[in-house]
Amino acid sequence: MATAARYGSRVDAGLLVGCVVLSVIALVLKDEDREPIASALRRSIVAPLVGLQRGAERWRSAWVTSEQRQLVADSVAIRGIKEQAALVENEQLRKIVGLGSRLEWGFIPAEAVHSAAPSEEVVTNMTLTAGSVAGVQRYNPVVAPEGLVGVVQTADPTMSIAILYTSPDFRASAMSADASAFGIVYPHSGRGSAAYMLELRGVPTRVQLKPGTQIYTSGLGGTFPRGITIGTVVSELKTTEPWTRTYLLRPAVSPSRVTTVLVLTAQRVTQGTGNVWGGAVNADSATRRIVAANDSIARQAASIEAQARRAALDSVRLATIDSVRRSLGAGVMPEPTDSAAARAPAGTPIAPHTPTQRRDTTRARRDSVRPATNAKSPT
Amino acid sequence: MNWTGAVRTMLVCAILIVLHYTLRPLLAWRASVDFLIVALLLGSVRLRPGAAAVYGFLLGLVADSIAVSPFGAAALAMSIVGFGASWLKAVFFADNLALNGFFLFLAKWIFDLIFLIVGHRAVGPELAMQIFVWSPLAAAVTAVAGVLALSLLKPLMEVRTA
Repeated sequence: MATAARYGSRVDAGLLVGCVVLSVIALVLKDEDREPIASALRRSIVAPLVGLQRGAERWRSAWVTSEQRQLVADSVAIRGIKEQAALVENEQLRKIVGLGSRLEWGFIPAEAVHSAAPSEEVVTNMTLTAGSVAGVQRYNPVVAPEGLVGVVQTADPTMSIAILYTSPDFRASAMSADASAFGIVYPHSGRGSAAYMLELRGVPTRVQLKPGTQIYTSGLGGTFPRGITIGTVVSELKTTEPWTRTYLLRPAVSPSRVTTVLVLTAQRVTQGTGNVWGGAVNADSATRRIVAANDSIARQAASIEAQARRAALDSVRLATIDSVRRSLGAGVMPEPTDSAAARAPAGTPIAPHTPTQRRDTTRARRDSVRPATNAKSPT
Repeated sequence: MNWTGAVRTMLVCAILIVLHYTLRPLLAWRASVDFLIVALLLGSVRLRPGAAAVYGFLLGLVADSIAVSPFGAAALAMSIVGFGASWLKAVFFADNLALNGFFLFLAKWIFDLIFLIVGHRAVGPELAMQIFVWSPLAAAVTAVAGVLALSLLKPLMEVRTA
């Protein structure tokens, strides 16, 4: 038993030594001598393993290549998105610059950072990067190139928070472009995309607005200046109010796209924004101009008519007195108002008056009217 | 070891060798799993030391013929590791997964040590880096993979604790 074990140990040791020796021989062989052995192994016993390894490497290569292609595609897509975002931002900034140049004064530019509570479905407020140090005050209107965005709710020294038109607390006095309809704009109480709509309430029943009608701030109430675009009428909403109509509005500004805004100062609100957003103010001012022009023409016409009437009455009165005097045998009164006599040079004999009432009347009327016409001409 | 056990062991070793040439190139990790070492140990613990040395030598030749390495380095390393594994099987290869893992770790590290030194794969700091960083990492990964393989293939295995 012990002999067998000893024998076995010797065999084991011999085998190990043999393997080690063969390995060392393989190691010390020259490349040209060991390559045929390795090649023969690769072509015979190891061939299936070589095939497996080659297949796995191909799979790996294909995987890496597809990953790289995907990375390239992703990076191109990301670059495209970034470029698109940059273009959009560039356009917005251009619009803001344009709005700023139209406003000229009385505004504070600020970047808008959207913030929505997790429980809120819609964005109802935004943080602005300008605060009271820059001049922002509570209730200052926040506007974008497209129109009204919201109103400042709190103003800290370096930042402020504005509520958007989607906020339940938002209200704005509004009117139609032709100032035929006035009402109050409220946020629309809907879900999803409808939550970003607005309602124009309190429009008198006699006024009917067509879809597409532009709605602007009316300037009533003093929070917003007149003429900021709010939105467009979409349709009329059915309500229980018998004397007023309510309209659904599509806002001019999309809150998600607003990245830069202008905060209008209180002084600017007081003095108005003029024809910055066009539309209402433009139409309104045009209407006012037309009305004013009509008024002035009417005034002038009335004035001329009144003067003419007065002159006619004067001539009638003078002609009547003259004819009465003549019929009573009294001399004809000198006519200091006779312009012909007054204009005649000294020494020129004045033709005797023909005793006809019509001529006197005509002359008197002509003379009476002339001063009025002369007075009117400078205007 | 009876014939059934021998066939089972051969089957498991074949699976591990196939995994070595399929899964390893697919994963292509820097510290990769060495399924050949796992197959070597699984076979060696069921063989006499001399037979284990021959088994290691043959496995090493296969590895040398496919890999771009000095021909004979893997054969030498595996012969020694196989002989040692068979000789120490009673000490290390118990029914304890942690011990089996340690055994696998040690075997792989010794294999790398011999392979790197004999094969002159690296010198100086690079050799030290390979021995003390990458080889232990590869050994750890191999140990984990070996333990997993042992756990999965346990029904097929019949460990003889001499």
